[in-house]
Amino acid sequence: MNSRLIHVENISKRFKKPKSFKMEKESLRSIFLFQREYKNAVDGISFEIDEGEMVGLIGPNGAGKTVTLKILSGILRPDGGNVWIDGMNPYKDRKKYVAKIGVVFGHKSQITYDLTPLDTYGVLKCIYKIPANIYRDNLERFCDLLGVNEFINQPVYSLSMGQKVRAELVCALIHSPKILFLDEATIGIDVIGKEKVRKCLRELNKSDGMTMIFTSHDMKDIENTCDRLMIIDEGKMIYDGSKTSLYEEYSSQRMMEVEFEKPQQEIRLEHVVCTDSDNNPMSKYLYYNHSDVNYNEMILKLMRDYPVKDLAVREPEIEYIIREIYRKKKK
Amino acid sequence: MSMDLIQLFKAYAKTGIKTRFQYHLDSFLLSLAVFVREASSIFGVYFLLLKFDTLNDWNIKEIFFMFSILSATYSLFIMFFMVFRDFPDWIKHGDFDRILLRPRGIFVQMILNGADWVAALSHGCISILMFILSANSVGIRWNAGSIFYYLVTMISGTVIQGAIFVFFSAFNFYFSKNHGIKEFVFWKSRRFATFPVSIYGGVVQNILMFVIPFAFVNYFPAQYLLRKSDMAAYPEYYMYLSPVIAIVGFTLAYVFWRFSLRYYQS
Repeated sequence: MNSRLIHVENISKRFKKPKSFKMEKESLRSIFLFQREYKNAVDGISFEIDEGEMVGLIGPNGAGKTVTLKILSGILRPDGGNVWIDGMNPYKDRKKYVAKIGVVFGHKSQITYDLTPLDTYGVLKCIYKIPANIYRDNLERFCDLLGVNEFINQPVYSLSMGQKVRAELVCALIHSPKILFLDEATIGIDVIGKEKVRKCLRELNKSDGMTMIFTSHDMKDIENTCDRLMIIDEGKMIYDGSKTSLYEEYSSQRMMEVEFEKPQQEIRLEHVVCTDSDNNPMSKYLYYNHSDVNYNEMILKLMRDYPVKDLAVREPEIEYIIREIYRKKKK
Repeated sequence: MSMDLIQLFKAYAKTGIKTRFQYHLDSFLLSLAVFVREASSIFGVYFLLLKFDTLNDWNIKEIFFMFSILSATYSLFIMFFMVFRDFPDWIKHGDFDRILLRPRGIFVQMILNGADWVAALSHGCISILMFILSANSVGIRWNAGSIFYYLVTMISGTVIQGAIFVFFSAFNFYFSKNHGIKEFVFWKSRRFATFPVSIYGGVVQNILMFVIPFAFVNYFPAQYLLRKSDMAAYPEYYMYLSPVIAIVGFTLAYVFWRFSLRYYQS
């Protein structure tokens, strides 16, 4: 038996692929023929996590983050591989296992729409058989931490998105879980709300030693909370390591955002990779390794050959590093 | 253990009823709509019988009595197995994920969670109405034996319908939509069960007895209490078979359901 808290070995999960038909004929034929195409949502992922770790799971849409979390939380049965968490198999020992975990799926609501958050917590108390004194303490503590008290007696449908998400987090914490899985849990929360959530998560990790795995599209969430990162793409793990070592590895990387007077086709500079800007048609992103280029030459050439309006050099933000990893993988 | 289940039931019932009362006008209209729909099918039977007097020896009161068994068990069924009826929506909205994430039995949660109190109330009212109209004028001697038989009928009828839905809801783990099968299998056969099974042709009879066993929900139990002449076409022991079918059917449906769960795609 492994001493690690979470032990995941070579798990995979495949799904039937929804087919799109080019012609009506094809879709008619498919009624009679059973054609099946499968897609590997998770394709041989392995990792181990110690008690008290905070792990950020990142990857583009459809990379398999949610499926991985669903396997870890016992909702899905993996087609292959082993999962062993706190001495249990999440799928087989479901009842015993889920009492020890808290889960929030940001896209699917766990809280009853027509009732107040307090009503839902009352039902949860009964479902998890939480002793009255622990329930009272937890309720007070988490509602305070997340600022739920001000709307605890309002029906959920009248709450804002951010309030709803915070109320759901309390649902996931009320039974004092040992492990917390958060999938896009901060979706739709404003900046202040997000800071509250992050603060709460950090505190739970520090004081209670709660282990957490979470995914988020907001890199700030992950940057501010996790020490360890796992990056997955197309169902495979492409990076697993500490946040700091990732920074170090890419610390010589730079990105320059350049705005031109008019749209440019291509920028030809030595050691520089150029991509279009996401939001400004006049801008380009230039990627380069800080130790490869001679700034003097590069800037001079840029200024001489192109109508530069504005430029900014960026430190390697985590978002950029991840983009770099994807880019290298694609090659 | 059982105390604990009662606690859980109370917690669910409280929130369920509270939810409904959030929209009392909607709930009222819904129960009215269900009531009118059911009543209209009863009127259909009524006008039919005005013309024929009897159907295979069954008069209007006796058919009403049989109908009251059907709606009473259906009303109980809605209270306990509602989730299986609406299972595709449950999967789609992620409610089933929530059930899997809670440390209680899956079936326990589904049965306690999904009661549709409003519709159950209207079916219950219909059944009580039909029962009052017929129970004392169809020649049943209400003694301890027949009351006991009637109660067993209620339970097994509810469980048989539950088994049908548990069985068909399991297909949702394989295909995302199967409203079609359900529509065909359940709603239509429930309509068939309004009349004595003996009036139908052989194929329909066999389906109603052995495939989707509605005949054992109301027809054969009503036969035990009423003893109509068309019972001669069937073995005598069919009148005692309902509880057996309920237990066997539900067990099979349960096993199939649990097996299919592994194909759940969330």
